[in-house]
Amino acid sequence: MALTLMKGSEAIAEAAIRAGARFFFGYPITPQTEIPEYMSARMPEIGGCYLQAESEVAAINMVYGAAGTGARVITSSSSPGVSLKQEGISYAAGAQLPCVILNVMRGGPGLGSIQASQGDYFQAVKGGGNGDYHLITYAPSSIQEAIDIMQFAYDKAEKYRVPVLFLADGIMCQMMEPVEMPPMVEYKVDPEKKPWAATGWKPGDDPAKRAVINSLYINTEELTVHNNHLQAIYAEIRKNEKMWECYKTEDADYVITAFGTVARIAKSAADSLRKEGIKVGVFRPITVWPFPYEELKEATKNVKAILDVEANEGQMYEDVKLALLGSKPTEYFGHCGSLMPSTTEIIAKIHEMMKEGK
Amino acid sequence: MKKMYVLIGNYGSGKTELAINFALRAAETGRTEILDLDMVNTYFRLTEPGIMTRMKEIRLVSPNFTNSSVETLSLPAEVQSAFAMDWDTVVFDVGGDAAGSTALGRYHQDFMELEEGQLEVLNVINIRRPLSGTVDRIIRIQNEMQVHSRLKITGMINNTNLSVATTEAELRDGYEIIKEVSERSGIPVAYTSGKKEFLDAFLAEGHDPKYIGTPVPIDVYMKRDWDSWVKTV
Repeated sequence: MALTLMKGSEAIAEAAIRAGARFFFGYPITPQTEIPEYMSARMPEIGGCYLQAESEVAAINMVYGAAGTGARVITSSSSPGVSLKQEGISYAAGAQLPCVILNVMRGGPGLGSIQASQGDYFQAVKGGGNGDYHLITYAPSSIQEAIDIMQFAYDKAEKYRVPVLFLADGIMCQMMEPVEMPPMVEYKVDPEKKPWAATGWKPGDDPAKRAVINSLYINTEELTVHNNHLQAIYAEIRKNEKMWECYKTEDADYVITAFGTVARIAKSAADSLRKEGIKVGVFRPITVWPFPYEELKEATKNVKAILDVEANEGQMYEDVKLALLGSKPTEYFGHCGSLMPSTTEIIAKIHEMMKEGK
Repeated sequence: MKKMYVLIGNYGSGKTELAINFALRAAETGRTEILDLDMVNTYFRLTEPGIMTRMKEIRLVSPNFTNSSVETLSLPAEVQSAFAMDWDTVVFDVGGDAAGSTALGRYHQDFMELEEGQLEVLNVINIRRPLSGTVDRIIRIQNEMQVHSRLKITGMINNTNLSVATTEAELRDGYEIIKEVSERSGIPVAYTSGKKEFLDAFLAEGHDPKYIGTPVPIDVYMKRDWDSWVKTV
C-alpha cells in the first residue's frame, strides 16, 4: 500500500476509525482541533457518529454511555480539556469501560499555552481522577507508531476492560510524516463476548443477562472485592503489556530516558554524541503506564549514568529513579511550559555530566 | 520590475519550504521580502526563530501574535509594504486550502493594480496528501481557493513529496495527475520542484516539458530537532 503524507491529528483519527471506532464525542481545543474536525467529516461517511458535546465533561460522559453498550468509542482533547474529563475517566475506570482517550498535551498549568508540552505525565499515570485505578497509557513517538498502537488499543481495552489513554503532544499532532494506513476493521458488538455490555435488556428477558453500568458500590465489602478485582487486572497488565524501546543502549556509557517527541530529540543528541566517540543510548518507555521499571534497570546495568530529559519538571524522572533505586547516578534536564529541550542542550548536559565525573 | 509570487495550496503541500527557497534564490540578486500570511496554523510556520536567522538579507513580515498562545492571528499593516515599497521580489506564503487563502482577499485592490506579468499566483500541489490525491480533489480545492483569494491561479507547482521518504516516484506520480488537472482546468504547470537528486532523476525520464514547467531544485530549511528519527513502515 502506498505511503501518504499525513498530519498526526488526521492520521490518528483515521487510524481509530480503521480500528473500529464509530463514535466520537469531543470539544475543540488547540492543538488537537484537527481531530474533531477530521472526525466530523469522516464519521458520517462510514455510518458512525460525530457529536460535538457542550463541554469536555459532557463528552467523556457520552463516551461512558456509548462504551457501556460495547461500542468502540473515542474522545480527544488537550491538557486543560483532559483535566475536565478526569471525573468521567475515573468513573469509566470504575465501571470497567473499554474506550480510547487522546490527550494532545499543551503547556500548563491552567490554560498555559497552545504550544507542545509533556506536563500531564503525572495526571496520566499517577491517576488524574479519584480512586485506585490505572489507564493503559501509550506515549507514541511518531505518527506511524501512533497508528500502529491504535490498531490494538481497542483489543487491549476490551481484553482488560480498562480505558486506554494516548499521551501525545502538540508536535505529534501538528507535524506531518509519511505513513501507511492499515485496512479498515468492521467492528460489530458481540453480546456473547461482551456480556457486561448494556445491549437492550427488556422485562421478560433473562434477569441474569441484565447489564448495569455503574461505579457506585453501596456495600463497602463489595467495593473492596471490586477493587481487589481491579488490582488483579492491573497486575496482569503490568505483567503483559509493557512496551519500551532501547536505542543503542547495548554498549552505552550514558543512557538518556525520554518519551514521546522528546525521545526523538534525545536520539538526535545520542547520534551526535556517538560521532564524538561518546557512547550514548536512549531508553524510551512506549507504555508510560505500565512503566517498564525492570527493563530500564536491565538496559542501564552497565552505564556510568542516566540522564532523564523531558518537556516538564521531570515528572517521569520519578519513575526512572524508582526503577534504579539509587543503583546509578541520575540527572534530569528539561523545561517546563512549552519549550522543547534541544539537541544542543542535551549534548551540553552530557558533556557537563562527564566533566563532573559521572 | 517588481515580481510577486503568491503560494497557495492544500495543507501540507510544501508552500512554506518553497517560499523560503524562492526568497533565498531571489535574494541572491535583488531586494526581497517574504510574507508569512498563514492565518490558520498555530504550529510550524515561516516565522520560527530558526528560519528567521537564515533570512538575514530578506525582510520577513509575520502576522501579529505568531508563535504565541493567541489562536486568532491578525494581519499587520506591514503587509502593505509588499505593494508600497520598491522590492525586486516579493513572496507570499499563504495558509492552506480555501480557508488559508481567504487572507489574500483583503489585498485584492493592490493585486489588481499590478502590471501584466508582475504577479504569479501558484497552486502548490502534493498528490501524496490525502485531500489532493486525485484530479477531482485538486480541481475542487483549486476552484475554492480562487474564489476565496479573489485571485486567478496562473500556474501550478508539482511539489509532490513524502517528506523524508521522498523519491523521484513522487514527482512522476504527481506529473501524471497534475498533467490531467492542467488539461482539464487550462491552468499551466509553471514549476516542478524537489530535492536536486530526485528532480534530476525525474527529469532524466524524459517527460513532456509542457507539464513540467521550470524545474526548481530546492533545499530543505524547515529542519527540526526531532526530524532525524522517523518511524516508517
